[in-house]
Amino acid sequence: MNDGGLSAAHSARETPVPSMRQRAMRLFLSDFFVLYLSLAYFLVLMPFLPTLSNPANIANILSNMWPLLVVAVGQTFVLTIAGIDLSQGSVVGFTSVVGAMLLATTASPDVLSNAPIWGTIITENGGPLAGVPGGVAIAILVMVAAGALIGAANGIAIAHFQMPPFMVTLVTMIVISALAIYLTQSENIRNLPESYIQLGKGDIVSVYFGEQDESRIPRRQIHSFVTYPMLIAVTVAICAHVLLNRTVFGRQVFAIGINRKAAKISGVPVKRVIVLVFTISAICATVGAILYSTRLEAGRPTLGDGNFLLDVIGATVIGGTSLFGGKGKIIWTVFGVFFFVLLSNTLNLMNLSSFHIDMVKGTVIVAAALLDVLRTRLIQGDAL
Amino acid sequence: MKPVSTLLAGAAFAAASLGVAAPASAATICFAFQDLETEFWVAGHTAITRTLEEAGHTVIERNANEDANRQLEQVRDCIAQGVDGVIIIPQDGESAVTIVNEAQDNDVPIAVFNRPPSDLSKGIVVVADNASIASQAVDFLAQEAIANREGDGKLTPMIIVGDLGDPNAVGRKDGFYAALENYPDDFNTPIEVASEWDAATALANLEAAVTANPEIDLLFTSSDFLFPTIRSVFEPRGMWARQGEEGHVVMGGLDGDATACQLLKEGYIDATGVQDLYFEAEAALNAILAAIEAGEAQPNEVIEDPGFALTSANLAEREMDMWGCVLLSEGFLDQ
Amino acid sequence: MTELLSFEGLRKDYFGVPAVRDLTLGIRKGEVVGVIGENGAGKSTLMNMIGGVVAPSAGEMRWLGALYHPRSPSDATARGVAFIHQELNLFTNLTIAENIFVDDFPSRFGLIDRTAMRQRTADLLRQLALDVATETDVEKLTPGERQLVEIAKALHRDAELIIFDEPTTSLTPRETAKLFETIERLKADGKTILYISHILGDVKRLCDSVVVLRDGQLVAQEKAEGFDVPDMITAMIGRALGGLYPERSAAPSSDILFSAKGLCQPGILEDVSFDIHAGEILGLFGLMGSGRSEMARIVFGLDPLEQGELTLQGNPLSGGVRARIASGVAFVTEDRRAEGLLMDAPTVDNLSLVSIEEFGRTSLAFLDQARLEQSTEHLKTEMVIKAGDIRTQPVRALSGGNQQKVVIGKWLMRQPDLFILDEPTRGVDVGAKFEIYAIADRLAAAGSGVLFISSELEELTGMCDRIMVMNRGEVTGRFDRSDFSDRDILAMAFGKKPETNGVAA
Repeated sequence: MNDGGLSAAHSARETPVPSMRQRAMRLFLSDFFVLYLSLAYFLVLMPFLPTLSNPANIANILSNMWPLLVVAVGQTFVLTIAGIDLSQGSVVGFTSVVGAMLLATTASPDVLSNAPIWGTIITENGGPLAGVPGGVAIAILVMVAAGALIGAANGIAIAHFQMPPFMVTLVTMIVISALAIYLTQSENIRNLPESYIQLGKGDIVSVYFGEQDESRIPRRQIHSFVTYPMLIAVTVAICAHVLLNRTVFGRQVFAIGINRKAAKISGVPVKRVIVLVFTISAICATVGAILYSTRLEAGRPTLGDGNFLLDVIGATVIGGTSLFGGKGKIIWTVFGVFFFVLLSNTLNLMNLSSFHIDMVKGTVIVAAALLDVLRTRLIQGDAL
Repeated sequence: MKPVSTLLAGAAFAAASLGVAAPASAATICFAFQDLETEFWVAGHTAITRTLEEAGHTVIERNANEDANRQLEQVRDCIAQGVDGVIIIPQDGESAVTIVNEAQDNDVPIAVFNRPPSDLSKGIVVVADNASIASQAVDFLAQEAIANREGDGKLTPMIIVGDLGDPNAVGRKDGFYAALENYPDDFNTPIEVASEWDAATALANLEAAVTANPEIDLLFTSSDFLFPTIRSVFEPRGMWARQGEEGHVVMGGLDGDATACQLLKEGYIDATGVQDLYFEAEAALNAILAAIEAGEAQPNEVIEDPGFALTSANLAEREMDMWGCVLLSEGFLDQ
Repeated sequence: MTELLSFEGLRKDYFGVPAVRDLTLGIRKGEVVGVIGENGAGKSTLMNMIGGVVAPSAGEMRWLGALYHPRSPSDATARGVAFIHQELNLFTNLTIAENIFVDDFPSRFGLIDRTAMRQRTADLLRQLALDVATETDVEKLTPGERQLVEIAKALHRDAELIIFDEPTTSLTPRETAKLFETIERLKADGKTILYISHILGDVKRLCDSVVVLRDGQLVAQEKAEGFDVPDMITAMIGRALGGLYPERSAAPSSDILFSAKGLCQPGILEDVSFDIHAGEILGLFGLMGSGRSEMARIVFGLDPLEQGELTLQGNPLSGGVRARIASGVAFVTEDRRAEGLLMDAPTVDNLSLVSIEEFGRTSLAFLDQARLEQSTEHLKTEMVIKAGDIRTQPVRALSGGNQQKVVIGKWLMRQPDLFILDEPTRGVDVGAKFEIYAIADRLAAAGSGVLFISSELEELTGMCDRIMVMNRGEVTGRFDRSDFSDRDILAMAFGKKPETNGVAA
């Protein structure tokens, strides 16, 4: 008894009550830091932007989150092995075309007759899987296979030929998006079957808020909260989380990211893991392609162009995944995507121009990268 | 571009939309455009915003920077903000259809301006009739060429065609042929030069075509943006000359940009067909305001813009109806 | 003599864990004071506090009696503290003079006054008996000369306290002797010296008094006279060390476990053959570039082999690293940081890395987290790895000895037959060295073969059953334990023909 009392007193002295500063540190280093930051940002802006918290806007934020999340999850794997995948955008564009050319129910010769796929794959009667039972599933399998092939090619070039990921995926990006544009001659493929479009737009739970009379024409105000994209994205994120944190493969991914040489000497199948990681990244991009192209109701070769990569890599890095490898969590990416989408949304609501929005986004990404450096330094200082 | 908006501006706007008294007929319109990279769009954008603001309406601008997906998200954000109507210049015909559906599903009237959706049946759609505009311009060119003819051989016309995957390019080419059909005895079969809407491609093909056929009497370019390209091919050959000077080729285009306006004033070119941007803007606006006034959430209507040709003959009266000349007078080319 | 620097109840915590505590100590002006302790004993933390890199959590420091709380390294420099580090902080592309004046170039009429620089530098070099031109580029100097330039820099800034941190690791014996002369001279000029080193013989020879730290606390402050190396070790590790090497617990068997026949790889190995018996520790000695580490990499399947045969328990070894590991080969590389550890990952991840595939049915199935933690916890206890929370604390935070135990530990989960240890005790303190030797002995006693590569001849003669010597890719000598002779082994390492014919293995 006496001993117990003594040691308790002793340990109380050894670990003093955390000060304000230590608490702030703990918050700053927490996995949920970006989520807290997002919520704080939301609360601060709420009085200024009343639209922010209205149901329609929240439904928008959610709906913008899902496709980006799916793609960013793939990027998280790649960043964790200290790689980078610049080809994700082009995979989104390419596979959206692949899916659309297989599934289109009809197509117009005015638009597509110059395209190399006209007559061979797609005709006035649509694609080969138009009206075929289970066609949507087959088309998705083909899309995933195409995406996986591109990802595996990236991985093989990087792992087996020791080429830098930046170079390899940059070339893939150029080649694949050129291929997508060539296949359709830069045209979009419309007339997708309803069951496919449901994947990008379908509601499961919608909420009716009654008539609202803010605008001069009363609206129906039905807002989708639980949607197919949500189910798909959440499923992808959970699977990815399990894969990265609960499997042998996940451990090997981290090992390679932290120290590739040591991993190799310890018997980690480095090449196999790298190929798999880039394949996962491309498959995630393909799932993203399904969500993006169905919500725009067309296969678009130019989907994923432009600033798309900024959004993907930016959201992932804001979450806290390190560009230097060895540090990444799916939950971080979820919060990063949430913050990024919230940021875009609020900048829109402030009526900023797209140039200003991109400038702010860029600044936020740099700030996130700096924050990462700071956090790493703090953690290492802790370990000194 | 609007000047930099700040958080304060956002707050001010928010306050306004919360029901601070506004003119009875005032509406909040979301204007979502695809980019401002060419002067045409700058002018279109200015035309819309100015007209709206002068009428006391509130304009929320959204620039999608050529990203259809972003435009969809922006229009959704606008709808969430509670705008009364949406006007878009879409990235392409396909995404236009999706966005129109999105707005109509949410009971928000929408008008598509300038670039037609691939499905014209939904929304207020303002389209320029490319064929009619082209034929007005080419008709004037043909008369000029005939008037300037030396001797009585047939004249050789040439057309620079755009990317034929683009319905605009097809319409312009059709208009060109339709105009020349009125003078069957005066013209040879036209020489076609492909440009794919790309200056470099146009340069290479035009060089080849002019080398093969040095005697050209009439040149029509499917878009005004190619005039600098044409100049770089013609000038070394002594074919870049003002009206009445030795070597002048009767020349015209379509679009009506600031460069074309300047060249027309200087006499290097003779005509340009032009979409009546101000007509289009006004038509789109009036239709959307009427729908709002009538409480009509899904107005569907196609409005045609016949356009006109600005020529060396009518330059004095109609100059200020052409958007390029307006930009020019505002010092656009000096920037 | 007055005290230049003193500490009173000094303490430094890193997130609640004390690295230095209750430290009360005085350093007298003009003394050479040795600071010794195992890795993790608190030496670096103490130096960081003196140097203004970190601030103490409690207690105070005094400089000539006045409170001394440097807020930054430049504060400390201004007060007169100079560090001579293991890794030197010179600009190799600049000249000696430029390095010495790098942060305050003298100027005249707004231009750099090169003449003044040269004169001052020449004076300093003369004081240190360094006979090179002031305009020599630093990259052309030897490590010993560079160190003298660092000292010159310290003198130029009127340093009162010069702290040497493991200064002899990259020096030749001649350079070391010269450094000691220099330190004597600095002392004669009234400078105070803190000398940190693992080489206790040097500390004994050089210092006036010795400070011993253990677990962040001061355990002894003695006059060097009468404080001998065994006393130092006892103070450092807190117990008497029976001997430097453990008794070997079992004799090797006569069964050949591993054999290499006629290994050839152009430019690296030339007809190398040897056997390792079950239960045997075979020492491999050679200088840098003798091909010893290269051979280890070849045996482990990291580098290609043009000709020759490798067999383990009668089965030929082939394939890459994964195949060798599956056959029962383990490899502790010489570069622990670059090739051995995932520095930013916790101990659990490092220990389980080699055998990770045994904890999941397939590589994409759930890991058996409970069994994994149990196994690693067991290994940690068995190997006496001193670490905080092994699931969260990165191994970067462990001391060198504990890091090395983690590297060895990750192979133990698989119980390999052939263990290649390349410089396993480099940068490891005395106590941990003994434990590593004991692990090697345990492995051999359990019937594994150990190939022990080292450039410290003493530990090879202390631990091995036989020693093989290599020079330029060839085996130049083989010795049985009864024939061990430092002189002969060294001679063969330098490529001399054996005088007496060592018994062939």
